[in-house]
Amino acid sequence: MNIGTRKILDRSFTAVGIGSIIVMAVALMIVVVPIITNGIGAVFFTGTVEHRKMLFSEFKRGDSENLSSEVASSERYRAKVYQMLTGFEAELETMAPEQKAEYQAKYTQVRAALQALLGPLPGDPEPMLTRFKYGQTRWEKAEEKLHDLLYETRWDNSNPEVMAKEYFVSRAIGFQGTSLVKLFPYVKNNLESMLLPEFTCYWGFITDSSVDSHFFGGIWPEIQGTFFLAVGAMLFAFPLGVVAAVYFTEYARPGFLNSMLRSANSTLAGVPSIVFGMFGLAFFINTMKVSESKSVIAGALTLAIMILPTIIRAAEEAILAVPKTYREASLSLGSTKWNTIATVILPAALPGILTGGVISLGRAAGETAPIIFTAAVSVGSAIGLADVFSSPTPALSWNIYNLASEHEAAAQIRHVQYGMVLALVSIVLMLNLSAIVLRARISKKLKG
Amino acid sequence: MAGESEGECNRTNAFVVSARKRAMQNVAKRAGEGMLFAVASFVAVIVLFIFYFVARDAVPFFQIRGFSEFFTSSNWYPADDPAQFGALAIIYGSLMVTLGSALIAVPMGVAAAICLSDILPFSVRQYAKPVIEMLAAIPSVAFGFFALVILAPLLQNNGGPLLMWAWWILVSPFMLLAVIVISDLLTTKITEPKRRQQLHLFFMIFLGLLSVFLLFKVGTVLYGIQILTGTNALNVSIILSFMALPTIVSVSEDALQAVGRDIREGSYALGATRAETILKTVLPAGSSGILAAVILGIMRALGETMVVWMASGNSSQIPEPWFNYLQAIRTLTATIAGDMGEADQVTGSARFHVLFAMGLLLLVISFISNLVSERIVVRQRKILSGQ
Amino acid sequence: MDARESSGNAPVQKATRDMYLPPERRKIADGGTAHISAREFSIYYGEFEAVKRVSADILSKYVTAIIGPSGCGKSTFLRAINRMNDLIPSCHTTGALLFDGQDIYGKFTDEVLLRKKVGMVFQKPNPFPKSIFDNIAYGPRLHGVNDKKKLMEIVERSLKKAAIWDEVCDRLDKNALGLSGGQQQRLCVARTLAVEPEVLLLDEPTSALDPKATAKIEDLIQELRGSYTIMIVTHNMQQASRVSDSTMFFYEGVLVEQASTAQLFTNPKDPMTEDYITGRFS
Repeated sequence: MNIGTRKILDRSFTAVGIGSIIVMAVALMIVVVPIITNGIGAVFFTGTVEHRKMLFSEFKRGDSENLSSEVASSERYRAKVYQMLTGFEAELETMAPEQKAEYQAKYTQVRAALQALLGPLPGDPEPMLTRFKYGQTRWEKAEEKLHDLLYETRWDNSNPEVMAKEYFVSRAIGFQGTSLVKLFPYVKNNLESMLLPEFTCYWGFITDSSVDSHFFGGIWPEIQGTFFLAVGAMLFAFPLGVVAAVYFTEYARPGFLNSMLRSANSTLAGVPSIVFGMFGLAFFINTMKVSESKSVIAGALTLAIMILPTIIRAAEEAILAVPKTYREASLSLGSTKWNTIATVILPAALPGILTGGVISLGRAAGETAPIIFTAAVSVGSAIGLADVFSSPTPALSWNIYNLASEHEAAAQIRHVQYGMVLALVSIVLMLNLSAIVLRARISKKLKG
Repeated sequence: MAGESEGECNRTNAFVVSARKRAMQNVAKRAGEGMLFAVASFVAVIVLFIFYFVARDAVPFFQIRGFSEFFTSSNWYPADDPAQFGALAIIYGSLMVTLGSALIAVPMGVAAAICLSDILPFSVRQYAKPVIEMLAAIPSVAFGFFALVILAPLLQNNGGPLLMWAWWILVSPFMLLAVIVISDLLTTKITEPKRRQQLHLFFMIFLGLLSVFLLFKVGTVLYGIQILTGTNALNVSIILSFMALPTIVSVSEDALQAVGRDIREGSYALGATRAETILKTVLPAGSSGILAAVILGIMRALGETMVVWMASGNSSQIPEPWFNYLQAIRTLTATIAGDMGEADQVTGSARFHVLFAMGLLLLVISFISNLVSERIVVRQRKILSGQ
Repeated sequence: MDARESSGNAPVQKATRDMYLPPERRKIADGGTAHISAREFSIYYGEFEAVKRVSADILSKYVTAIIGPSGCGKSTFLRAINRMNDLIPSCHTTGALLFDGQDIYGKFTDEVLLRKKVGMVFQKPNPFPKSIFDNIAYGPRLHGVNDKKKLMEIVERSLKKAAIWDEVCDRLDKNALGLSGGQQQRLCVARTLAVEPEVLLLDEPTSALDPKATAKIEDLIQELRGSYTIMIVTHNMQQASRVSDSTMFFYEGVLVEQASTAQLFTNPKDPMTEDYITGRFS
């Protein structure tokens, strides 16, 4: 081959390598950036007066005087809407039966759209679900609902070859010639006065319980559940893992038994996470009966088994990294082997062991599959520390799945889902970052 | 000086202790060691327990239904009466996404590992490694959420253009490279410089036009593709490949690092470029370690649950045609996760046991591949250390 | 001084394990006493015999240097004396090695008590990543001294003995890794002295140090002579001749010659020793 071509090949080879690292970094960005930008929206958003009403009646938060004056001012604008509705209802009674039936159907849709936008209208029965007690609490959602009020969505099925396309028809046209036609421009122009949007910083998202399966409120039960599960798993796995690592590094003699144990360790590391879940169900719950059914303790034990190999490996590496001279120095001073391990080797290896522990903690917090059958429930309130032996708990990882895939109104509560994902990802990444920093510190220290 | 020697050694100060005390010490030492051993063997006990308890609930299924239906039929109607438990399509779905993610992750991962171990300067490597670790740390459910809420609508609404751009961006550099190399190879036999140059130019232009035509033709075909559902095998494969990448990169980087400097220097000294050194000496020497990395990475994709559960579409059928990555599929892990909730109510039914049969299948596959990759690593270490 | 040459002929009976020799039986010629005696003592790494049937006596309270080319077994022999070789799983011994007349490799030997009496300083300074105070106090604490005041006394005394007190007395709570190499090595000596050993083993203690720090360590050895039995392994023949009273020359695991330092360096009996000290091989 030509020397020039060889050089080009060499360059492009380098480019492919660097390119794939860049692709990985970009992939990380593509995944993380929308999660961060959308997730922040769960805490910082433009809230309406409905949000403040909700906070006051559900969580007793906010200034009642201020709120009642706000409600009064918004009611002034809403009153006109209600007037128009009653006016139109009276007009309906005067219509011919066929005409009446036609308008009645359209009017029901308009009423529903208004309910969604402003909350229950006068004359409506008290709604059963909390989600229907309030209008839109977030301004960007209110704008969507305004669009629903102004336009009817229809589907174009004329061409069976391609997928149906949606298109919009103005509702105002449908009410041409009636008194209701004025409603649409009025609502459009006065929506701000009716909902009083203002910038809201809702820290309660982190500390509140959820209301009506995450329509309102926060994710505290999930955060707490994740904390219980991850810390519980560490309580079991960390001491066991460190002791096992001490055995492998300080006591084990090479031989068949030892290589079997090591094989077992790597086998355990390779078991698919869902199989851990099945094992947890079959062993901890159905056989050992650590609890009647799902419980935090069963989940924590399952997670502990899952992270055990990681902890053992990290601790082994950390112990092996302790210079041999420390061992010799301590022994030559007349220290027993056990004393040497406890007073010299483990303290010197501690930062490395902790790094592994922190990473495993992150993994335990982020895993979903092992807790599906052992610990997680979709909705529920935060549980007390005493209940960990008997009750299941909501957890961030599981509820992200549940809200995104199984919630009956998944598309309406995207902000909660994003908020949850951001909470989980930031917990895990914080733990990992601190591990990276910790490790950088150690290597600096060892270099002196 | 010498006079002091009388008194310096009295036997009360001796380090030789009584037989009894020594025996006690030995017993204590043995007991301590035994306890440590017990803790260390805990892991092995757990592995045995996992096999036992998963198998215990899997065996009844095969006793009731036999093997043939599970492995040969793709009729998965566990809730019907009579129920059908054909898992072929589900097994196929698992293999399909695993293969798809491997196709993306293996070349990228190996290239990145080479880059980290041989190309990037140390200072850059220090920043690249945390990026890979962060990618590994992101919880699978977050990836699943991304796949379901962001990637799936994107594929469904703009699938054609997206595929076209991906094709252009990924393939055109390689096309260009192929044109250069092929035209060079075709003209190596010609010795007369001027004629050779002319022919070289001709081939470059000819092949260049050909490849540009190919690029655009395939691009238009891709552009016209309508993706019916965004939750499909392609979506899952892409996301799973990102999840498998960190494993592949870090394990293969270790393997490449284990190939010593001297081999590299020998190759450079013979006038090889860096690419030739890596491709012809370093990669073959580290190949088994890289193979182990690939196996571990693939296992991560095969065992992953949340992403496939959320974004694969969960439709239990073999795609038409069989290589169609744009259709919804269903995998073993997602089936276990999704069906356990319903089957759990009737513990002991075939519907419950079939899920454990799937779990056992996963467990056996992961166990075998672990053993294989471990063997490979051990063998490579032996070869490199010259035994 | 000449009397010490006769050490190889000390009246010791056939070596057996768990033997005890009363002090009067260990008297050598001019009244000096053998602190450590080897009889037909061999050390194996697996099949390989690293130290071959060595018989020798180390005199109490004198400085003995061990010289020889790399890999001659001199370090292995030194490390055998406080059983540091136990860390190597394949290592085992035959013959007898006696300390104070008691068998070091005896069945009933408590190696922890032994190491308390036989301190060791290693090639590379190896302070623990702790404060200077904690480094010195590590040994006494192990052996049951927990009273802060008493510990302070021990630390001060040990640091003074190791001639480093003046340099570190105002920063006892600082990390020991912050000291210079020479200071670290003297700290390691102080740490060993704090346990109050009878024997001090120095395994090439200056090989990682610069000449200035080396000189300080050599001065220190001079000061400690007479209070401790000191054995020093060294590559540096000048150093051996400067600091030691008696010198042993090892070659390929065999003790070729043991004599007073003055004699061994001026008038070696064995031609191999002569070749080595005149630099014909190394």
